[in-house]
Amino acid sequence: MAGPPSRLELPQGTLDLLILKAIALEPQHGWAISERIQQISNDALQVQQGSLYPALHRLERRGWIKAKWGTSDNNRKAKFYELTRAGRRALDAQTGAWRALTAAVDLLLDTP
Amino acid sequence: MVADLYHRLRALLRRGAVDAELDEELRFHLDLDIEKRMRAGLTRGAAARAARLALGGIEQVKDAHRDVRGIAFVESILRDIRYGARAMRRAPAFAATVVATLALSTAALATVLTLGYTLLYRMLPVERPAELVEVAGVRRAFASEQLSTSEAARLQVLGPVSYPDYLAFRTGSRTLSGLAAHYPTAPLFVSVGGLGREVNGAVVSANFFPLLGIRPALGRFFHDDEDRVPDRDRVAVIGSNFWRTWFAASPAAIGARLRINGTDFTIVGVAPATFSGMTSSPIELYIPTMMLRVGYRWCDDALAADCTVLQMIGRLAPGRILSDAAAELPTLAPAAWEHAPRGENSGVAVAVPRGMSTDDEEPRLVRILGAVAIVLLLVCCANLAGLVGAQSAARAHEFAVRVSVGAAPGRLARQLLTESAMLSIAGGAAGVLLSRAFTGALAMMFFAADDEGHPLQYDFSQTPAIALATLGAALVAGVLFSVASATRVVRPPAASRLSRRATARWSSGAWLLGAQAAAAVAMVALAALLGASARTMLRGRNYDASHVALIRVRPRLVKYSADRAQRFQREVVRRLESLPGVDSVSMVGIGSVLGGSSIGVALPRWDAAQRVTASYNEVGPRYFATLDTAVTAGREFDEHDAAQSPPVAIVNETLASRLWPGGGALGATIVVGRIERQIVGIVKDLSLRSRTHDRESWVYTPFWQNPAQVDSRVAIRAAGDPSALLPAIAREVNRVDPDVPIAETITLPSRIAALMRPVRVSATFVGYTAVLAVILTAVGLYGSLAFAVARRTKEIGIRMALGAERRRVLGLVVREGMTVVAAGVAAGLALAAGGARIVGHLLYGSADADWIFYASAAAVVACVGFVASVMPARRAAAVEPLIALRCE
Repeated sequence: MAGPPSRLELPQGTLDLLILKAIALEPQHGWAISERIQQISNDALQVQQGSLYPALHRLERRGWIKAKWGTSDNNRKAKFYELTRAGRRALDAQTGAWRALTAAVDLLLDTP
Repeated sequence: MVADLYHRLRALLRRGAVDAELDEELRFHLDLDIEKRMRAGLTRGAAARAARLALGGIEQVKDAHRDVRGIAFVESILRDIRYGARAMRRAPAFAATVVATLALSTAALATVLTLGYTLLYRMLPVERPAELVEVAGVRRAFASEQLSTSEAARLQVLGPVSYPDYLAFRTGSRTLSGLAAHYPTAPLFVSVGGLGREVNGAVVSANFFPLLGIRPALGRFFHDDEDRVPDRDRVAVIGSNFWRTWFAASPAAIGARLRINGTDFTIVGVAPATFSGMTSSPIELYIPTMMLRVGYRWCDDALAADCTVLQMIGRLAPGRILSDAAAELPTLAPAAWEHAPRGENSGVAVAVPRGMSTDDEEPRLVRILGAVAIVLLLVCCANLAGLVGAQSAARAHEFAVRVSVGAAPGRLARQLLTESAMLSIAGGAAGVLLSRAFTGALAMMFFAADDEGHPLQYDFSQTPAIALATLGAALVAGVLFSVASATRVVRPPAASRLSRRATARWSSGAWLLGAQAAAAVAMVALAALLGASARTMLRGRNYDASHVALIRVRPRLVKYSADRAQRFQREVVRRLESLPGVDSVSMVGIGSVLGGSSIGVALPRWDAAQRVTASYNEVGPRYFATLDTAVTAGREFDEHDAAQSPPVAIVNETLASRLWPGGGALGATIVVGRIERQIVGIVKDLSLRSRTHDRESWVYTPFWQNPAQVDSRVAIRAAGDPSALLPAIAREVNRVDPDVPIAETITLPSRIAALMRPVRVSATFVGYTAVLAVILTAVGLYGSLAFAVARRTKEIGIRMALGAERRRVLGLVVREGMTVVAAGVAAGLALAAGGARIVGHLLYGSADADWIFYASAAAVVACVGFVASVMPARRAAAVEPLIALRCE
């Protein structure tokens, strides 16, 4: 199920980082997380919505995020995800790692 | 970590809730997505389609979600279990057979483990039992003919100590936080009001109960001050059982008076029901060490340095270990111990008290029973291998289909493994439960009373470790052998996967059946040998036990003089002889009836070095008539062999032929101890020793020629059932003097039964194994042959179509079965001969007739094997050629 060619495929493992980032400010439910990722990336990133939920569960099991049932803007019951303390640490660490990686790759690519 | 476990467990246990939440979440997602798309101008239908497409299929998302729940492995095992349960419901007979086989064999194992644990390892039911140490004197034993070679190798025996010895250890020790003294086998004759009875009592130091950490059920234990001055504080603590039987568990027992061995005591406390002493003989009554003279009458002063009667139990001081105590305590031994002669304390032994065994032979008994249980488990394994093999072969088609529709062979193997694990656990669990009944029966049949008729108490409760070990054994037995035979099915030759093989030989399992038959023969033969030994001894070998009753009279306990005691003895014999239904009455002065001690004997001109040791007893007139033992020459003692008449003796045939190889013992002079005696009779050998012992030399002297003799054990020959006579016997003796303690009022067969406990226990256990092994062999043989016949129906049909007679077809199948049985029987006879050597110390009487037992065992297994072969063979012979050929 490949997305439109104009959008970027998400590299392996980066979805977790994006999810953590998406809920860093405030708890979000699943649909909002996928919307937020697309909005912030100006629709450049294609998040396969179906892979979002298994990823959320994986992060829950890892103890990085916590789910709570709450009420959405349109007054419906929805599952909200928020960062745990460990999740915030992981977000910082992964952001740093990502920056270092991309910098290194940039450096390599910029070399004539 | 915690979050992970929580989510996995939730996924596993609240699977429905997790699924429902995911459903709800996905529905919410879709709704929002559809709204968004409709706001962008799509119709509801188009928006819904687009939203579903973007999500990527609800079922796929659910599957992906399930994959990350981390419980796929567990879920597939659960699936295997459900599938296995279905497979078992389809073949309930198979499942029941496997479970029953495993249950019956593992129950035997669990029973032996419990027995061994209780006898050899179980700790005392007191506070922190691992800190306790037993401290005992070590003596160099006398070497004597009575000792077998293994006993002679350990010439050191543990010995009790005197009260001053105990004080030396108690005051000197720094490695122990406390040391208590106790004499646990005090025969206390108790009377309350008109009621009198002998109970097993203990004389204990005041610190005994506090040291063990035991609290009274009622009242108090002894104060230290009550154990300082000899004979002053007449206080007693009663056991819980005594409290119930004598005082109906009434609080009024505290302060009540008891007459113990003629001295009045006041009850101050009741011991808890959880504690009944340090040995298997439950203690009913405790008195302080300063009252030792009441409980121990064999020393003039029970508290003197030369009266060694006390055992010691200590508790290690905090931070100390056993080796500290073992290093320190020998340095505290009294100086006199250094040059102690043979038979007196010369060293110190320190050990953690473990196990209720008092018998040196019991470790060997447990080892033998353990080996038998393992043989039984192996037979069970062989049987299961055959059963599971046949069962899997029957399911070969099912597996072939599953492989062909894409099931991985590993998946199938796991399925089989799960199924056998389920059966094994069911069998093991049933075995664990069954063994509780077995140990209960064991305790009741063999461990309820000692050879003097006193009750015994063993804690045969099962421990969790034993239950787990049993389950483990069942798992190993079931799973290993299932896997071995199942691999053949999971990976059959490629060509035959879906085509049923027209013929199948069953010879691959033949050696397993042969091994089962061999084990069955060996077990049947051994069970017969052991059973015959037990029966021989219970009935009597050169004696007839069946009509003999016993009673013990102990005037010494009430301080009778020898003269008065002998008058008492004569009156007892006279009264008992005049009882209706009594044929004759006699007694022994040393040890017990059929027993005795040992003494040096010599010919008149021998020097001391030539003296030989013989077993010895002082017996009353008509002793051999009472036991129905043949006097082969001369006469036995009568009333005329008294203190004033010439010293006489009777020897047994072994001693007669040993000292007078050429004959002529009768009328000859023999020196018994230091006294020259004339031999007036020769009797048949009387011995309670097994056939691994050399024949015993015995010499008997008249009871009435020892004027110092006070106590006796009386034997009464009854015309009818001796047990019916016991109350009348006790009553008659009581009439002579109600204050003289009487005890051990039992029949001779019940005494011998207790003495023969090892052989009776092993005969029962091996018998159980033998029955099971024979049944398993028959079932295995029948199953394998029936299966082979069913698979060879076509072959048999062809043979018959070509003119084979039914008789020959019958013979063909029977021969196939009997070949295996014959090989097994041959191997089994060799096994039985080897086994008989291992249990040689449990076999009694002559080995001349042993071949009968071997032959019978072979015949039994051969017959059972024949019947198990004939049944499927008849089915083969009944095959109708046309129908058989049409089947394919």
